[in-house]
Amino acid sequence: MKMLLHFAVKAKSAWGKTLMALAMLAMPILAQAQAAPDVVKPPAGFDPSSWDWVFICYLVLSVLVILVIARAFDIGSLTEKLTGKKVIKWNLTNAWVALIAMVAGGIGVWYEMVYHGKYVLLGNAFSLHGATLDSMIWWTLGFTFVVFVITECLLFWFMFRYRYREGKKAHYYYHNNTLEMIWTIVPAVVLTFLVLRGFNTWSKITNDIPADSEEIEVYAYQFGWKARYAGEDKKFGQHSFTFTSGKNPLGLAVDEYVDSLSAELKNEISQFDTLIKYAPDSAKVWKAALADLEGKQNITAYPVVYKELKEKACDAASGAYVRKLEKERDRKKTTLQRIAEYRSNKDVFNNSANDDRITTEIVLVKNKPYVFKFRARDVIHSAYMPEFRAQMNCVPGMATQFAFTPTHTTEEARQIKGNKEFEYYLYCNKICGAAHYNMKIKITVVDSEARKKVWLESQAKVVPAKTAAPATDDKGEKNTKDSAAKSPTVALN
Amino acid sequence: MSTAALHAEHEGHHHHKESFISKYVFSMDHKMISKQFLITGIIMGIIGMGMSLLFRLQLAWPDEQFGILEMLLGKWAVDGKLDPNFYMGLVTIHGTIMVFYVLTAGLSGTFSNLLIPLQVGARDMASPFLNMLSYWFFFLSSVVLLVSVGVETGPASAGWTVYPPLSALEKAMPGSGLGMTLWLVAIVLFIVSALLGGINYISTVLNMRTKGMSMNRMPLTIWAFFFTAVLGLLSFPVLLGAGLFLIFDRSFGTSFYLSDIYLEGVGALENIGGSPVLYQHLFWFLGHPEVYIILMPALGITSEVISTNARKPIFGYTAMVISLMGISFLSFIVWGHHMFITGMNPFLGSVFMILTLIIAVPSAVKVFNYLTTLWKGNLRFTPAMLFSIGLVSFFISGGVTGIWLGNAAIDIQLHDSYFVVAHFHLVMGSSAIFGMFAGIYHWFPRMYGRMLNNVLGYFHFWITFICAYLVFFPMHFMGLAGVPRRYYMFTLVKDFDVWMDVNKLITIAAIIGGAAQLLFLYNFFYSIFRGKKSEQNPWQSNSLEWSAPVKHIHGNWPGEIPTVYRGPYEYSRPDREEDFFPQYIPDEGQETGTGAPSKTPAPEHKEVAEENAGHSVFFAAIRRVFGLS
Amino acid sequence: MKQVTKIPMKTNRENYRIAPARFNLWLMMIASCMLFAAIVSAYVVHKPDAEAKQLWTAFDLPVYFLFSVLTAIVSSGTIFLAFRAAKQDELAQNRLFLAITLALGLVFCVFQYLGWKQLLAMGLAFVNAKSEDISASYVWVITAVHVLHVLGGLILLTVTLVRAFQFRVHKKDMTLMSISHTYWHFVGLLWIYLYLFLYFAG
Repeated sequence: MKMLLHFAVKAKSAWGKTLMALAMLAMPILAQAQAAPDVVKPPAGFDPSSWDWVFICYLVLSVLVILVIARAFDIGSLTEKLTGKKVIKWNLTNAWVALIAMVAGGIGVWYEMVYHGKYVLLGNAFSLHGATLDSMIWWTLGFTFVVFVITECLLFWFMFRYRYREGKKAHYYYHNNTLEMIWTIVPAVVLTFLVLRGFNTWSKITNDIPADSEEIEVYAYQFGWKARYAGEDKKFGQHSFTFTSGKNPLGLAVDEYVDSLSAELKNEISQFDTLIKYAPDSAKVWKAALADLEGKQNITAYPVVYKELKEKACDAASGAYVRKLEKERDRKKTTLQRIAEYRSNKDVFNNSANDDRITTEIVLVKNKPYVFKFRARDVIHSAYMPEFRAQMNCVPGMATQFAFTPTHTTEEARQIKGNKEFEYYLYCNKICGAAHYNMKIKITVVDSEARKKVWLESQAKVVPAKTAAPATDDKGEKNTKDSAAKSPTVALN
Repeated sequence: MSTAALHAEHEGHHHHKESFISKYVFSMDHKMISKQFLITGIIMGIIGMGMSLLFRLQLAWPDEQFGILEMLLGKWAVDGKLDPNFYMGLVTIHGTIMVFYVLTAGLSGTFSNLLIPLQVGARDMASPFLNMLSYWFFFLSSVVLLVSVGVETGPASAGWTVYPPLSALEKAMPGSGLGMTLWLVAIVLFIVSALLGGINYISTVLNMRTKGMSMNRMPLTIWAFFFTAVLGLLSFPVLLGAGLFLIFDRSFGTSFYLSDIYLEGVGALENIGGSPVLYQHLFWFLGHPEVYIILMPALGITSEVISTNARKPIFGYTAMVISLMGISFLSFIVWGHHMFITGMNPFLGSVFMILTLIIAVPSAVKVFNYLTTLWKGNLRFTPAMLFSIGLVSFFISGGVTGIWLGNAAIDIQLHDSYFVVAHFHLVMGSSAIFGMFAGIYHWFPRMYGRMLNNVLGYFHFWITFICAYLVFFPMHFMGLAGVPRRYYMFTLVKDFDVWMDVNKLITIAAIIGGAAQLLFLYNFFYSIFRGKKSEQNPWQSNSLEWSAPVKHIHGNWPGEIPTVYRGPYEYSRPDREEDFFPQYIPDEGQETGTGAPSKTPAPEHKEVAEENAGHSVFFAAIRRVFGLS
Repeated sequence: MKQVTKIPMKTNRENYRIAPARFNLWLMMIASCMLFAAIVSAYVVHKPDAEAKQLWTAFDLPVYFLFSVLTAIVSSGTIFLAFRAAKQDELAQNRLFLAITLALGLVFCVFQYLGWKQLLAMGLAFVNAKSEDISASYVWVITAVHVLHVLGGLILLTVTLVRAFQFRVHKKDMTLMSISHTYWHFVGLLWIYLYLFLYFAG
């Protein structure tokens, strides 16, 4: 046993963690108890006259009505039993309802296709490969729709046609090899066609990347997007997630940003060291404060303060406080060490990132091939550009890409859609957190390289040409931009 | 009549009576365990559906304030507006509950337990003890999951697939803290339950069939349960592996899935070298078979119900079995179609696409066989029959869109859009739940010895059927218009404004459909106590379970287990006067119109309720819910 | 009717072809295999990925793992002898070999423990963020999950041994003995496979 314990310590307390994890199983109950005052609030929003209550009342009422009707039918069946006459022939009724459902369903599908069908994007692909993808969808739609209509109609028609009849006997028919072969082979042939077509389309989309494609880096983070264009040297600067900081949101290999990050980290590490050094004193202070608070009668008056203080005191007493601090410090040390390893590497820090431009909008030129290189900072996101029939996941630690050629400018798309305010957007399409629904970036397609150039040159470089002071200016500006972009998120949280 | 009652009657040993605990709580009788699974599944279903209504309200009226939300959810819906984090939590837990707790345990757990021993002719499961453990692990897992909804930081909210890094980083999403830990604990418990159950089902089917019950005489339900159990046995351990790695990453700091992460407010994490996509591979290696674990029992139940109520043999029994086998096999090698756009190798993508589209062939065979079974039948529309036909309808509508999504090229556009939501809710959500309803309506007499009210059943079916289509059909169009799923609201994107009326329609249909389930609940619980007494074989069915006495007894059959003489679908044989020919009646045996086994007389109905009545109304009610006597 | 009531629950088993417990054991072993298959394939998929990023440290497996392979082989032999003895109703021999197997099982665990200590000494802890490699994490997971299986086997062996001393393991009551026998072979083979896998793939 002792050896095991010894081992537990040696294994960098992994076993201790197991025990802690087990202990955590008991926590929900505690958490529940602690959360209770928050959760069970007096129903402040309760207003019996508000419309949702009226709605619920209606709902309950209608359920009751149906129940009563059903019971009435039941009494009907009782009289049927007594009198021997059938009041309602349920089997026949159901058969008729099935027939009505078939017709109504058909009308419904037709209505949907007319009414909502006009909003779907099919046929309006604004990219080169989009047209082939759409034609793939049309073919599939054609086949599946025919199958859908025929089989559903047969299903409901059979329901009506072959309803139960007294004295009739069903056709004893259990097997027919020819028939079964037919409906194995026909779908197989149709599917082979779809598979081959799909295979071609897919290979074309994923493999046919023109050599002269311009690369744009699209960077995803909680909760927004940034785009990076290469600078005059036509080369993207190197990056690493360890370089990421407030000034350097994309983690680019820029000397001054990375150096200031290193300095910051060193500073933070020394702060942690200080905190660890004085941890016993802090523990004493918290303990005293806690005792003081507990000595007072009205602990309940400061539930939050009390809870926090108690947690702190507990942590400090058990040593968890110091371990946490050490862990944080070690993490920062690791980052610092990794930065140091890269810093001396001239292939990484080759100044090519300095003239890159980071933008909060993507501008493309019509009929020019692009390769979007995706990168994610924190969790998996997905770049979804439905108008361009393009989508690709952005995975932290893994490079992904999607190549496409826009074929219509924003103006042209507006005209086609008859919507003067239309904009292309790139949405996030992989669940990524609370503000997932508000994570998008505008894409503008212009008709000439010149217009794009004008726009691009209006965007700030990663390291502005002017030295010293503008760097901080730039940072300040970026930060306000950042916070502006994020403000809805913050408000909604 | 229970063995206890019999003992008491004939031997006068009153102390032989089983205690309440051993009979209703830690029961080892497969019929009781199936009821336990069913009731737990129904409760979980109510919760899961309720959650969906809550987030549907948010989607339809994002600017409205609902007092009821604040009342129900407290701090998660301040001023009656749902919190975005909790919205994600609701979506996640709704998915988890529906996929695992209702449609895996509630459906396959209930009916595998009830029907496997009864239909293959076994006294009980291979290991009643493991069977009991299976239920209690499931129960424990349900409790843990429900507790996780109440924790302070919210339930797991990274979607039911819980992709890391989102699910691994507490700082990225509050739900990925304690809520996620509990989710993982619940799922591990669930896996244990599913494995214990699956082991039992397989071993009972293979090992404990009665005399004459060769594999090709097994009802299609049993085939479906068997393949389901095989899928579960092979795929759940893989999810366990995926879950273990995730637990290690979350609680121990390893880097199986995590790499190159910088978190706002935290800084760069230490983890490098992990691969988030690895998790997706492992997860979907379970996840795709899981879809069939959900669907196949429903298909099996449908085969049985349709054949019985069409009074026709199921068309192409062998083809049905082979297509089940084909679907099971293929389901293991198509998981990649969930990951076409994760940046996987395009060639790998095309392989997965080809394999995926092959699955459409056995599925099509099944649909055509169902249609041919209906053709020239003599269709009795019991509620079970209606639900089965509803299943076929959903299976078609949802299945054809599978051909869209299985195509890697189309998936670029439709991945994670509302089209996917429409697809899987029709093909595995609604289908499977309709299969479950069909099973409940069909075997309720077998479970409780009483009949459900048919008329309520008709209302229940038609309202649910229409509402399900109203909810899910328009979603196809939203998906084709590029509306992403799991969005908290659509008002921030102008292009999506046109879908607000659809969102309202969907929500209203969902609420009405949800309310229709109250009819079912009323019917279910009312009929347990007050329903019409069932006959021995109320549906004039062929299979073996109807030869057992209405009253449940230990060991299922008094006397010998009946011998099986033919396949289960001999309906309307031209050489027979009656339109059914039970499996357990020998060819030259005397005609027994009641459908009772020829060897043992049908036990009489005796009112033994008094004998087992507890000391309180409460216990009596519980006895009623879970047992007959 | 009187006859009817006399049917005890044992009749549950009247139709079986193979003892249900044995059958269930085989299914459980398949499930276990799938768990290891998942972990091993994760390893196989992960390795080239991490190697490309130069984050995969190749290292020699601790020598104790080789010792435990040998132990597994020997104990497979002894459990077989115990099984054969039980089949021939040589109860004393059966007990002896069961006890030896149990002891060897414990020795196996000790070797694994020493192997882990050696890994730690090599600086290859389970949590490897610092040394920036995950190859060691995989070895830890694989060995740990396997040791859990061995512990299960030890419990089974203990139960069998106790039963053997109660004269409940003999020619006519072989179910438990044969389950222990099969499972112990399974665990041993599993370890040999895993060792070879780690040896050649790592």
